[in-house]
Amino acid sequence: MIDPITFQIIRHRLYRVVEEAVITLKNVSGSAITNEGHDLMVSLYRPDGTLLMGGVGFLHHLTSAAEACKSVQRRFDGKIYEGDVYLLNDPYTAALHTSDIYLIAPIHHAGQLVAWSACFVHVYDIGAMSPGGFSPDSVDIYTEGFSSPGIKLVERGEMRDDVLDTFLNMVRSPEMVALDISSMIACNNVARERMLAMIDKYGFETVDAACAELIDQSERLLRERLRELPDGAWESRQYISVKDEVFKVVLKMTKQDDELVFDFTGSSPQAPYAINCTYWASLGGLFAPLFPLLCYDITWNEGVIRPIKMIVPDDSIVNCTRPAPISVATVGAIQSVNSAACLTIGKMLDASEKYKEEATAVWHANHFAIFMFGQNQHNREAIGILTEVFAGSGGARTFADGVDLGGEIPNPISRMANVETMEAGFPLRYLFRRRFTDSGGPGEFRGGTGMEFCIVPHDAPQGGMHYVVSGKGTDFPMSDGLSGGYPGAPCKYIWVRNNDADASDRNLDYAFAQTIDDMPGEQESVSWGVYPLLGEDALFVQWDGGGGYGDPLQRIPGAVLADVSAGTVTEAIADRVFGVILDSDKQAVDQGATETRRQEIRSQRLMEAAE
Amino acid sequence: MTRRFSRTLVVNDGDGGAVAHVCCGTCDHPLAANGTPWKPGAKLVASPVTGLGGDRWIAGERVVLRQFVCPNCGALLDTETALPEDPFLNDVLTR
Repeated sequence: MIDPITFQIIRHRLYRVVEEAVITLKNVSGSAITNEGHDLMVSLYRPDGTLLMGGVGFLHHLTSAAEACKSVQRRFDGKIYEGDVYLLNDPYTAALHTSDIYLIAPIHHAGQLVAWSACFVHVYDIGAMSPGGFSPDSVDIYTEGFSSPGIKLVERGEMRDDVLDTFLNMVRSPEMVALDISSMIACNNVARERMLAMIDKYGFETVDAACAELIDQSERLLRERLRELPDGAWESRQYISVKDEVFKVVLKMTKQDDELVFDFTGSSPQAPYAINCTYWASLGGLFAPLFPLLCYDITWNEGVIRPIKMIVPDDSIVNCTRPAPISVATVGAIQSVNSAACLTIGKMLDASEKYKEEATAVWHANHFAIFMFGQNQHNREAIGILTEVFAGSGGARTFADGVDLGGEIPNPISRMANVETMEAGFPLRYLFRRRFTDSGGPGEFRGGTGMEFCIVPHDAPQGGMHYVVSGKGTDFPMSDGLSGGYPGAPCKYIWVRNNDADASDRNLDYAFAQTIDDMPGEQESVSWGVYPLLGEDALFVQWDGGGGYGDPLQRIPGAVLADVSAGTVTEAIADRVFGVILDSDKQAVDQGATETRRQEIRSQRLMEAAE
Repeated sequence: MTRRFSRTLVVNDGDGGAVAHVCCGTCDHPLAANGTPWKPGAKLVASPVTGLGGDRWIAGERVVLRQFVCPNCGALLDTETALPEDPFLNDVLTR
C-alpha cells in the first residue's frame, strides 16, 4: 500500500504535469481561439485509456478523449510504439466535431506503455464547407471537412510527412493549422517528459499504484457525496430553434443512494441541421457541469464516471446516427445537454442543507459561434472566431449574484480577447462592447450579465469580410433560473444593412453609433448561415445573462439600487420585476413604496393565476 | 420536522405517521404529498417571455415563462421556460 504522503505528492505532480502541458499548448499555438478563448483541453489517461487526470479547458472533452484513447488502442493493437502520436477527430468514433482535433500520445517507460496524454484545440480550419469548421448549412458529415477515426501522425518520434501533408492539403490556411498541430505535439511531449521524470523519481510501481488509488479514491468520494444528497428526480428542458424549427433536449436526472442516472428520453429526433451530437458528445456534455459542481474537490477521473449512467435514445439529437451533420454540435446539442445537466444538478444540490451553496442557475447557455473569414488588413487570409462568446455569463448562486461576463461552466478558464487583439487580426472596428443591461436573470440573486457589441468593417482591402454564424437563444431564453429565478435574456444577432439605406439617411454620424437604432439600415436577424460584413454593414450581437436564483421580490432592495446605479438593471425592471421603488433622484430606495409595490405584485400574481 | 426541497419549498414530514407534504417555504401552505409532482398544487402564471425582463427581451411568440406561485401568499416558487403544449418539469424528492 502506498504511503499517504507519497500518494499526495504524486497526485499533485500529475495535476502539474497537465498544467505545464496546457501552458506549452498555449505558448506554441498561434490562434486566438486557443490563446485567448482557451478552447483547449489536456488530460492524462491510464494505459487502458481510462481517464486518470482531467485537466482544465473545455470539460466536454475529458470523457470523449478517453474513448479516443481506447479506440486508438483497438485500431492499432500491436502497432503502438514509443514516440507515436495519433490524430483522431471523427465525432462518430469519439470526438465532438471535426474541428476539435485530438492528438493522442502513448507514454512508454522501459518499453512498457504506462499512460496516454491527450489534448485538443479547435484548429484554425478543417476543410469544411464553411471556414473555421462550424458549417450551419452542412447536410451531412461528408460536408464537414477532414475526419479521421484515428491515424498515426508521428511514428516512433518521426513525423509522417505524407500524412501531415495530406491533411494540410485539405484545409484552409495550412500554415496556421500546422501551427495548431505543432502546439499539440509540443504539449504531449511536455506531458510525456514530466510523467517520465516522475516515474524515474518514484518508480513505476509506486506511480502506478498511486494512479490506481487515485481513481478508486475519486469513486469513493463521489459515492460518499451522492449518499449525502437527497434521493429524488429532477427535470430540465432546453430548446434550440433553427430556421423556425424547434428541437428539444429533455432530461430527467434520477439520484438513488450513490448513483446518478441521466435519462434524455423524449429529446427530439436527430435534426437536418448540424446541431446534433453523438453518444460520446452527450456523455461529455453532462460531465462538463458534473465535474465542477459535484467534484470540485475530487480528482476528475474514471472514478467519477463509474457511479454515473446515461440513457440516450437512438437517432436523436443527443445520439445521432452517421452521416447526420454535426459540425455545430459543441454550440448545439452538446451545450444544451450541458445546460440541462447543470440545472438538474443545481436543483439536487439546492435540495441539500449541506450542499446548497454549491448549487447554481444555468450559465451562458446560448454559447454561439461567429467565425470571420476573408482578407485582412495585412493582405492575408484570416479565419477566426469572435472570442467574445467565451466571456459567457455567470449563473446566480444560492448566496451571491452570478458574475457579469463570468465565463462558462464547461470551461473554467475561458475568456475573451481584448478589442485591440481582435482589431489587429481582422479588418474590423468595434463601435462598442459592454455589459448588456437587464440581461441577467432576475432573482433574489441576479444572474450575471451577458454582453452586447457591434462591429463594422475597417481598413479592409476587399471592403470587409464574411462571417459564419451558428447562433441560438433568439426565440428561447436558455440560461434557466433556479428556485423561482428568471432565465437570462434572449439573444440577438443582427445584420444592420446600412448599404441598402436611402442615400439621404446615410452620413458619417453612425460611424460612431452607440446603438444600432442610430443607424439607417434595416435590421435583419442572422442567427444561422453565412453573411457579409461589407461596406457600411454592421453586425450587432447581444447574449443572455446567467439565470437568476430565488424570487426577485426577495432581493435586497439596496442590491437593486446598486444594479440601477451600475447600469446592469433599468429602473423600469427594478419596479416591475423586483418591486423596488427608488426615490426621485435615484440615490436611495423608497422603503415604504417598495413594500407596497411588492405586496401589489404578489396580489397581482394571484389574480393573474386565477384568470 | 421540516426538510429543504429548494430555496422556496420545504417538505413537512407529517407528525405521527401522517403524510409528508411539499409546502411553500414562506407560508407553509401544502402543495402536494411528498414524492408526487407539486406544481399542479401551485397557481400558474404563464407570461410571454417577450418584454418580461426588459424592453430588449424579444423571444418567440409562443414562448412563455411559467411562474409557479404559492396560492396562499403569492411567493414565486419556481419558473420554467416552455411552449404551451409542453408538460411541466416535475421534480420530486424520494428520500
